[in-house]
Amino acid sequence: MQMNDVKIRNIGISAHIDSGKTTLTERILFYTKRIHAIHDVKGKDGVGATMDSMELEKERGITIASAATYCKWNDYEINIIDTPGHVDFTIEVERSLRVLDGAVLVLCAVGGVQSQSITVDLQMKRYKVPCIAFINKCDRSGANPFRVIDQLRSKLGHNALAMQIPIGLETNLEGVVDLVGMQALYFDGDNGEIIRTEEIPPELLAEAKSRREELIDAASMFSDELTEAILEGTEITPDMIYAAVRKGTLKREITPVYMGSAYKNKAVQPMLDGVNYLLPCPSEVENVALDMENNEEPVVLENDPDKPIVALAFKLEDGKYGQLTYIRVYQGTVSKGSTIINVRSGKKVKIGRVVRMHADQMEEVEELKSGYIGALFGVECSSGDTFVSAGINLTMTSMYVPKPVISLAISPRDNKSQMAMSKALNRFSKEDPTFKTYVDQETNETIIEGMGELHLDIYVERMRREYGADVETGNPRVAYRETITQRADFNYTHKKQTGGAGQFGRIAGYIEPVADSEFIFDNQIVGGAIPTQYIPACEKGFRQSMEKGPKLEFPITGVRVVINDGSSHPVDSSDMAFQAAARGAFREAYLRAKPVVHEPIMKVVVETPPEFQGAVMGLLNQRRGMIVGSQDEGTMCVVESQVPLAEMFGFSTVLRSSTQGKAQFTMEFAQYRLVPQSIAEKIALEVAQNKKTAA
Amino acid sequence: MLKKEIIYRNPLVKLGYEQEDILLNGGLGAVMAHAGVGKTALLVQVALNMMIREESVLHVSLQDAVSKVDLWYHEMFHNIAASFTEAEIQEYWDKIQPYRLIMTFRVESFSVPTLEERMTDLLQQNIFKPHTVIIDGLRFDQAGRGQLVLLKELAQKYAMRVWFTVHIHRHEPPAENGLPVSFLHVVDLFDVIVQLDAKGDEVYIKALKGQSSDARQHSLLLDPATMLIQEGK
Repeated sequence: MQMNDVKIRNIGISAHIDSGKTTLTERILFYTKRIHAIHDVKGKDGVGATMDSMELEKERGITIASAATYCKWNDYEINIIDTPGHVDFTIEVERSLRVLDGAVLVLCAVGGVQSQSITVDLQMKRYKVPCIAFINKCDRSGANPFRVIDQLRSKLGHNALAMQIPIGLETNLEGVVDLVGMQALYFDGDNGEIIRTEEIPPELLAEAKSRREELIDAASMFSDELTEAILEGTEITPDMIYAAVRKGTLKREITPVYMGSAYKNKAVQPMLDGVNYLLPCPSEVENVALDMENNEEPVVLENDPDKPIVALAFKLEDGKYGQLTYIRVYQGTVSKGSTIINVRSGKKVKIGRVVRMHADQMEEVEELKSGYIGALFGVECSSGDTFVSAGINLTMTSMYVPKPVISLAISPRDNKSQMAMSKALNRFSKEDPTFKTYVDQETNETIIEGMGELHLDIYVERMRREYGADVETGNPRVAYRETITQRADFNYTHKKQTGGAGQFGRIAGYIEPVADSEFIFDNQIVGGAIPTQYIPACEKGFRQSMEKGPKLEFPITGVRVVINDGSSHPVDSSDMAFQAAARGAFREAYLRAKPVVHEPIMKVVVETPPEFQGAVMGLLNQRRGMIVGSQDEGTMCVVESQVPLAEMFGFSTVLRSSTQGKAQFTMEFAQYRLVPQSIAEKIALEVAQNKKTAA
Repeated sequence: MLKKEIIYRNPLVKLGYEQEDILLNGGLGAVMAHAGVGKTALLVQVALNMMIREESVLHVSLQDAVSKVDLWYHEMFHNIAASFTEAEIQEYWDKIQPYRLIMTFRVESFSVPTLEERMTDLLQQNIFKPHTVIIDGLRFDQAGRGQLVLLKELAQKYAMRVWFTVHIHRHEPPAENGLPVSFLHVVDLFDVIVQLDAKGDEVYIKALKGQSSDARQHSLLLDPATMLIQEGK
């Protein structure tokens, strides 16, 4: 195994759906000799790209679960995580960014910086991942890499610097001019594997010189040596430029931009050089864990293979080899046969086999040193768990997990499917923290929850295909919430003293809306009106009431409960009695506190040719959408809006038919907002009807 | 409560303009200043005032992305409502946000017919009918008189008020009347002109045209920290 940390790169490939990142990864694997033939996404040969290993991904032409792989390029070991491009799978993107040291942001030379690129960029910022950009699809009609560079600057605020300029564009794309080495690069052979270096074509020389000057100017901000060379007019070597650009890149103050066409096998190799030269090695990135024994104080980890182990399980997969746990080792060495501890459960785990994954093929290794990404076999854990050596109690910072906004009832068609379904649900909820499942006590239905229609759709499909679970699905349900809008007093006595063990408890006080919190319980009882030992029971009773509103049965949020009086009975009062009293008190006050329903509002961004802008705005408006704005992008126009999730079902079909399939959209949760009265009445009717049906 | 406070802070009336809207139907207004002095901030405050009064504002930007323009509104609104809790601000914002729509164009692709076409889309489908339009970033040194005449006609046709930001170049000496030379060819089309003048650390706001001659003109300043308008000493 390669020992030199300087030559390790853990990178992710992130971008908008359809910008060609899986194709790019496929080419990287080919040029680094990890695969020996190229298969395209949705390829005619029916094989599919190597990184899209799930059957469903191949069919839909999108990447769902990030497959991990590693390869070698010019002595550098590169671990690559291919990440999904659809917003519904953002948790996968977030997870991979958590364990990466650098990223390649793939952009389409035609589409440019699209809404999903903005989401991905925000995530990169959150995890401070330095990145280089690759402008793909320069062979497509309408390609304009410099417009994309401008968008990187204006839309994402990157200090984007071209490292290359294209030689020809669209169908005339021949190669690129390397602005650092000032040479023209052409890519010959059947798969562009032979790099031919030539003089810069004379017609491009002036542009190359001026772009190089821009590059050097910007890079000089990060290197005194380079600044001196500029001022003194001495020779500026490629090493000087790379060193300066690298410094800026690691600080996230420069985004070097490479360009080409993965599909046409043009200029992928120089981008790989860029990964080697410009992205950080593991020891250049500061990784922080939390000390569980010291009030979660942050501890900076050392990328030292001899230190105690700290590793993060960032992905689980249930494949043909059994359960596979992808880990990133931050400190120490995880080796075959050693014992590690799962910090969350405190369980000791003996490591059986250690492998490195190449999409769905694997290679067995003896150990994984700090800085490496690999996988373990037969380790029982959840995604996001931290593994450590005995004697230390560190956990990696928890990942931000958004709450689910949509749910769906599923039921198996037969007994066999029942078993398979529960196996699948168990696996999925371990793999993906945004996917949740529970059994509704009243209807006895199994409910799955997630981040969007497509998110749940994919899991239902996976259940069918991978686990053979034949399931029926109900209509998607929106996660509404209830809250109150005014103060209401209560004074409730729970009394059952008619034989047997009696029950008695009286609670008085009020409930009022609170904006910044889900639930506040404020005990203002003085003089022992309610004995202290029953106060927790009161709180429990109120909390239970919050789980389901008395009227519409949605979870209640934003309530402050104040109790200031009550009474008890020396014999008949009990925890049970006060819990029941609290529930009764809440019921009594709730309807007088003018409850309202809140619904999840999604940020919906539609990219459409300008001629359909009016139609798109109309579609959004019909769905109770509020148009935030429209942005003219030349060939495309972006309409940003906020639309209730309840109105978004089936939107993709309607959008396609209204725009001749030329528009696309992304959707993500924005906030909860009050449901208009007319809609609230409709929801109440639906709830009543559902209740009747269930009865 | 919040509503009152924001109306109270509505600034430009104090410059001697007689009515809350400042401009009449079909009127054009200009806020002129050097780059970075606060033209957009001032017009966003004017827009927020309209939104609070439940009048719709179409904000057309020829220089910034939708997200950046939106950020301006959020920042200014937060500053205006600084004494309220985050949740109250959010609630109020949710209420007034539907009164604003942002449209951004690239400078080179902006034209009055395109704007009208986009507006017609909105009007015909009853999505949005602007009471006031803000056009931020129009290059007056490049825009001919014809474009401004068309915009004036558009304002009259749809009974709207249109505010512009006018960038004064530092290298450009002003004309005799103190107005930038690049603006003189269209000055007669404007009913109201306000200038922001940076002196040292302070930015003064002056009414140059359209104010009532009887009304007393207060000395107004832009607070450099919040970009909110405040009364001068």
